[in-house]
Parts: sequence; structure tokens; C-alpha cells
Amino acid sequence: MAGAPVEALRRVPLFADLDSDELHQVALLFKKRHFVQGETVMREGTDGAAFFLIEAGEASVSVAGSARANLHAGDHFGEIALIDEGVRSATITAVSELDCYGLTYWEFRPLLLANGAIGLKLLQSLAQKLRSAEAS
Amino acid sequence: MSGVLPLAEVADTSVFGSKAVGLGEAVRAGLPVPDGFALSGQTVEQVAAGDEATVSAVIGTVRPLGGPLAVRSSAADEDGADASFAGQHLTLLNVPTVDALPPALAEIWWSANSDSAISYRKRVGLFTRPSVAVVVQRLLDPETAGVMFTRNPVTGADERMIEASLGLGEAVVAGLVIPDSYRLDREGNALERRPGLKRIAIRRKEGGGTFEEEVPAAAAEQHCLGDDDLAALSGLARRCEEVYGPGRDIEWAIADGTLYLLQCRAVTR
Amino acid sequence: MATNAAAEKLRFDAPGPAFYELDPVHFPRPLTRYWTEVHPAAFASGTADFARYYGMLIGGLAMSYVNGFGYKNVLPPPAEEIPQRFARADEIFEGKLWREQLKEWDETAKPTAIATHRELQAVDPDALSDDALKAYLRRCRDHHAAMIEQHMRFTASAVVPTGDFVAHLSDWTDVPLPELLGLMRGASPVSAGASAQLERLVAALRGDPDAQALLASTDDPHRVLTELRAFDGETGAAVTDYLDLVGNRPLDGFDISEPTALELPDALLRAIRTAVAGDAEANDVEQRIADVRAKVPEEHRDTFDELLGEARLMYRLRDERGVYSDIWASGIMRRAALGAGRRLASAGRINEPQHVLDAGLEEMCGLLDGAASPSADELGSRAAYRAAHSAKDAPATLGTPEPPPPDPSGLPPGIARLMRATGTALGALFGSSEAEHEEHLLRGLAASPGIYEGTARLISGAAEFERIVQGDVLVTISTTEAFNILLPLLGAIVTDSGGLLSHSAIVAREYGIPGVVGTRQGTELIADGARVRVDGTAGEVTVLP
Repeated sequence: MAGAPVEALRRVPLFADLDSDELHQVALLFKKRHFVQGETVMREGTDGAAFFLIEAGEASVSVAGSARANLHAGDHFGEIALIDEGVRSATITAVSELDCYGLTYWEFRPLLLANGAIGLKLLQSLAQKLRSAEAS
Repeated sequence: MSGVLPLAEVADTSVFGSKAVGLGEAVRAGLPVPDGFALSGQTVEQVAAGDEATVSAVIGTVRPLGGPLAVRSSAADEDGADASFAGQHLTLLNVPTVDALPPALAEIWWSANSDSAISYRKRVGLFTRPSVAVVVQRLLDPETAGVMFTRNPVTGADERMIEASLGLGEAVVAGLVIPDSYRLDREGNALERRPGLKRIAIRRKEGGGTFEEEVPAAAAEQHCLGDDDLAALSGLARRCEEVYGPGRDIEWAIADGTLYLLQCRAVTR
Repeated sequence: MATNAAAEKLRFDAPGPAFYELDPVHFPRPLTRYWTEVHPAAFASGTADFARYYGMLIGGLAMSYVNGFGYKNVLPPPAEEIPQRFARADEIFEGKLWREQLKEWDETAKPTAIATHRELQAVDPDALSDDALKAYLRRCRDHHAAMIEQHMRFTASAVVPTGDFVAHLSDWTDVPLPELLGLMRGASPVSAGASAQLERLVAALRGDPDAQALLASTDDPHRVLTELRAFDGETGAAVTDYLDLVGNRPLDGFDISEPTALELPDALLRAIRTAVAGDAEANDVEQRIADVRAKVPEEHRDTFDELLGEARLMYRLRDERGVYSDIWASGIMRRAALGAGRRLASAGRINEPQHVLDAGLEEMCGLLDGAASPSADELGSRAAYRAAHSAKDAPATLGTPEPPPPDPSGLPPGIARLMRATGTALGALFGSSEAEHEEHLLRGLAASPGIYEGTARLISGAAEFERIVQGDVLVTISTTEAFNILLPLLGAIVTDSGGLLSHSAIVAREYGIPGVVGTRQGTELIADGARVRVDGTAGEVTVLP
């Protein structure tokens, strides 16, 4: 089966306002990626190329060396990469064998340009992150 | 399906990458290259995406090779003189059967699209999307393998410099051992032989992948190439120069007494 | 290279998501299980204390043990405490608050600790029942843990004034560090503590010809010390007083595995002989202070006097906080454990009394109760493990490197000065306690011509790439294409294995930087951070002193 399961994408707030066709389109762009236990999925401070959705397994998030959260099936990370291939804001490590669906910048960009709703959702998600970062 | 070709037919670098094309030229020139296929960048991407039609076409075409397989990336735009340090060139040795090929291709695709690969490309001024083609060949189980330059890379002298070790040649390429070292003149006479310290050999593992085997102390310091081997390598050097020109960086392996050419590219330095 | 082969089978996993650094200066060998169980909590608690007291921007330090090797990481400060820490850092320098800690040390902490040490070491473990021995072992352990915490609690006070002095002096002059540290010592009034007992001992021995004759004899050192203790009058009293003070201290290191002074009577006697012979140490520190003061710009000289005064005041705390806290307590714990060890060995439960030192505290008690594990052989193999390995077998770091600390100059003045003082002090103190580097010459294959001098950076893999700074010399076992990303930063490449046609050699030539490959022992003999000269034409790497 190509791409990510549409059901998995429905839960991602970024894609919440897409209709069924659009969701299928996005889903097809994803590719499976596997990380072994202990593997660094992304490193804080380095350039980012892909956004990931966790299908199975657990990953830990740390910022400036201190653990922040643990992510599980259905969680996602790395969405900054979809906007501007910017620098990763956290280090994510696979705590167990980790199965993900990944979407790179190049695949996402044309979709973003064609579909304003996704762009707006992305902005809202980032605004939310900024607010919670400032509050803490 | 034109995205998967036997090496003998591969000629387009923009589709199959320079490694695949180099091997295609070698096959057409009658050089001893292990059988294999080249997969285009687009094919690799479609397999990574899970496209069922592409996956079954690839498996069907490659199946006659049998197993185990060596899968090497052949980057399409990191070409020419700077090829040797143009980024992540992931090589997967010992993909045990053709059915295990799709996940291997996905891994190669992701390594070319990883954060660090993209970072590196940007750093060297490549802002376009990467495209990674792949060469799939029968994996050898060599007694000895290594690298040969048809020119001394340090002094520039017109000599053949050979570095050899036991097992798969990655041990020499990746510098995991201090290899046995030989210098030959153009006629094939040995100017210098120096045994190295070959403490490990990369061998294939049952069921896939490779492992580092510890080499007993005596063998580690004993010459692994004899006069016949050196003569064969000298012959191979000459033939490569005839096909490609001077200054060649050759990866070779000796399996079941036969000398094979695994890669032949320009010496950058 | 035999230990290297053994070490290759050890797996080093980062204990958590932080960045961990090996501490080979304090812990050059793997630690005992007992130590790895007792140390971490006490260490974390004591360091958190000094961090809070001083208003530092760290939560404290943590020590984790991987395969018995000590790895340190920095804990972040609790976010809610940061504002008051900024305020505190300002108060520190204004109020010279380290003096309060010195007062606490002299008036409470030190005398209380000494009293407990003496009480515990007065117990004869051999005379105790099994149950009483177990209770005694636990008391000694609890005391040891409290003393480790105490040692750490006073650490900042021991180093910040010195660091502050050195930091200011490096702004005003170019007087080298060893000379600055030399101004701390000598010509100060005798402080309470070891020197008082030692002074008394030296005076007594010098006044007693019979004692001196015995001291000079070549008799069995243990017997000499026992006889000196038994002398009448002042001599016997002075010897006893001194031996009670120093006898239960490990001569080197901190772990219960280290022999104490009384166990090494030969070394102890030599130390006493040296003290009695007395080298008339040139008492010229006043002159040296004046010389350095003259190099300081006139407008800063008053500050110089003030800073030096504080540094000299606090300097003795550096040694005292260890010697009177956990170093002594460790020796006491060792003594207690060996008591259990002798008992277990004669019962045939363990193979040698010393093997008990490789059991954790509860394991020791369990063995006295007749527990089946750990077996005698298990303890023996733990001991063998510690003997066969050193810090060279362990990676210098584990985990993901952190982003660099904030530039202090951007911070409020109190914190900035504190961070600078602490950083300078730690650099100075660690540097001065490291063994001297000898000039080491390594040979390998001349892979890429040229000569380059720079700082060596030992990198074992991609996780450590961020440690490379522009101009570094990469020192590693071998390289792969994953290392290519570092090339623009490197001044030279040195590898343990690999030939002239290997990846490292090729990229060194392509990049036009000196390269020496196949050195075999580069990663063992070159210390991370050492200054090296790489001669890619000759195939030589020199570690500079």
C-alpha cells in the first residue's frame, strides 16, 4: 500500500480541515520509515527535511539536553521542515523500534501552494507552539 | 520497464547515476563485473513510496540474480571529479533475498533524503531535490578484496598502488583495517610489499547484513595476496586504463579464485 | 592493545537523554559497585546545594556509572528558581558569601565530621558479632554518603574565589596560570588540621634521637610505626595523634578499593621521614606576590589585593573539604568492609578478603547472612574487571552534545562574573591535577602532505560531530562518508586504522589537509583536547606537552 493510512492523518490537526479527497492526496505522499531503538531521529540545531507521523513505537523529545516529552502512535513531529526546512528545535530519539510515515519538504511544498487551508492550519499550529513556549 | 535495466544496458547518468553507468561501461568492455541491475532514481522513490506495481516489477526483474545481494547507491547529481565526498552514499551489503529488496531501497531513499544529507547538499550548494539511483548485484563472498589506484595518489608516480584485506572490501574502503599494501610498476613488477594489520574481516551474516569477524593474529599480519593475484590485478589495471583512461580508482574482489571489478572511477586525489 | 580488545566488547549506552562526559581525572579506573550505588545521590544533592547557594545557572551535577566508569552531566536549573539565582549571584560577590561557608566549615561541619570519623574508627570490626557488623557497615556507608554530600556542598566556595582571582588576572596581565596558583600557597599562618598534627609530630621526632634512629632504620615499616606509637611521652602521643588522623585515608583516589595509609606503611614512613628532614622551602611568596602585583595596572591594584586575599583565605578548603569529609570516610568504610571480608574469606565464602570490596553494601550484609549470591567467583571477576580496565577503554562522551553555553558577557554582571570564575577555576584545578604529558610521537602512513598544529578532537561517531570546532584535528579509529560533513572545519586527520586508499586518506588529500592514517594507537595515545602536530609528509603525529 502506498502512502500513509488516511485514518492516521485524520488525527493530525494540521490536516483537520482537509476534505476526503485532499486527505487521500496528502496520504499518498508519505513514505514509511523505520528507526531502530536508540537511533537519533532528528537532532536539535540541524537542518530539517521531513515531517513524521508515528505509526508504532515510542520516541523521546529533548531540548537542550533535558527530556521534555515522550511521543507515541498517532503523534507527529518535525512540521517546521514543511515550511522552510528550518533548524530542528528538539532532539528526537527512538526509545523503541519506531515505525513512522515521513513526508519531505519537496513533496509537501506543491500541495501547500495549491491548498490554502493546509497553510492556514500550519500557521495556527505554530502560533500555538509559540504561545506555549512564551508562557513557560 | 525502463526504470530497471541490466548493467550492460545502462548509459544515462542523469537517470541511473555515475556508479551504474561506470559499471555499464565496464560490462560492455568485457571487464569482470558481477551480474546486476540498475534501478533509476524514480524507481527507487516509487518503491520507497510503496507503489505496488513498481515493487512487483522490480522484484520480478531482479529475481533471477538470486541472493544474497549487494545494493549500492548511485547518486545522479553528485558526479564528476568531486564524487568521492559528495554526501551519503549508502551501501547495503547482504540483502539476503530479492524479497528483502524493497525495504532496502526505502532505506537508501531515506538516507538520501535525511536531515544530514539535505544539510550537506545545501552546504555544497545543491538545493535541488536529491535523486538516488541504485545498483543491485550478486553479493560476492570474497577471500580477499580491496582498492587499487592506477597512479600513486601521494607521489603521483606512474605505479599501481594496491591495498588488500580479507573478506569484503569495505574493510579497506572504510579504513577499518591497516591493509596489506603493494606497489607495482606498469609492467606488474612488485616495487614494494608491506603487510598490514588486518585484525577484522567483514563477512556476510546468515539472514542478512554483515559482521566483523576477528582475524587470528598470524593471518592478520601475513600477506593476503600472492604473485598470481598481483599479476591478475596488474592486468585489470591495464584493461581499465584502456577503457577509461589513466588515473583510475578501482574496487576489486577475489572470490573463488576469480578477480572481479566492483567499481572503477576517476582518481580524484 | 589487549585491553582494547576486551573493551571493544563493552557496550556503552548513554544513561539518559543528556550529554555525559567521562571524568578520567578523578576516576581513572572503573569504580566498585559499592561506590556506584552510594555516590550518585550524594553527589547530586551536594552539587545542587552549592549551585543554589551560589545562584549558579545549573541545577547541579549528576554522576552516572556505565560499566563502572564515571560520567558526569550537568543538570539544568529549575526554571522557577532562575530569577532568584540571578539575584543570588549578585549577592555572592557583594557579600563575599564564601566566608560564611568557611565559617560553617570551621565551626560546624569539619569538627562534627572529625568527631564521627574518630568514633567510627574506634570500633574494631573483628570484635563485632555478625549482626553488629552489618549495623556497623550500614553506619559507615551512611556516614560516607553524608560526607560525599558535604564535600560537594563546599566545592564552589573552594574554587570560586580562586577562579575569580585568576579570571581578573588574565584580563590584566599575561602571568601564566601555574605562577598565579603558586601565590595561593605558602607563608600563611598554620591552619588547623593536618599541618598542626604533622608539625607536632615533626617537632617531637626532631627532639627525640631514639625515635629518629628508629625512623631511619630499615626494619619492617609496619613494625617501625607500631613501635613509634608505643614510645613514652610526647613522641608516642604525637605519633598516635598523627596516625589517627591520616591512617584511614586512601593514599590515592576516593573509592573503597584504594589502600589506606596504614596499609602502606612504607609510603607512610617515607612521608614522615621527608617531613622530619624538612626541605627549607624558600619562603618567598611575599616577594612573588609583589612581583605579580607590579604587573597589574595601577588602577586595579587595590582590587588585586582584595581578590588575592579572598583566594588565599579560601584555598585550604580545597584540600580540607575532601580530606576531612569523604576521603576519610571512604577509608573507614574500607576498613569495615575488610573486616567483613576477612570473616567471609576464612569461612570460605569468598576467595580473598579484598573481594568483598567489589560487593555492594547490601550484598556485603547479605553475604554475612549466608546469601547465595554474589558467588565468590563473581566477586573475583568484578575485581579482575576493575584491574584490567582504565578510563582509556571508555568513550570520552556519551549521548547528544548540548548547544554551547550562553556567552557570559550577555548575562547580568553577577552571574557573568560567577560563571567566569567557576569556569576558570575548574579549568585551572583540573589542569593542575592532570599528569604531565610527555612528548609522544606516533607514526602512521603519510596519507596527505603538509604540517598542521591544532587541538585534537577524539570523535567516535556522528553523535559527537558537534564537538568539532574550526581548526580541530580529527582523531578517530576510521572514517566513512558520514564524516564528510566535518571536512570544512578540520585542520588535519589522524586515524588508527586505514590505508592510503581508504576514505580518510582520500578525503584528506582532496581537501588538501595533512593526514596520517593507520597510526594503530592514535585514539589511545592522543588525549581529547591535546595539542598535536600532524606531519602528513613524514607520517608522524606529535602530542605536544
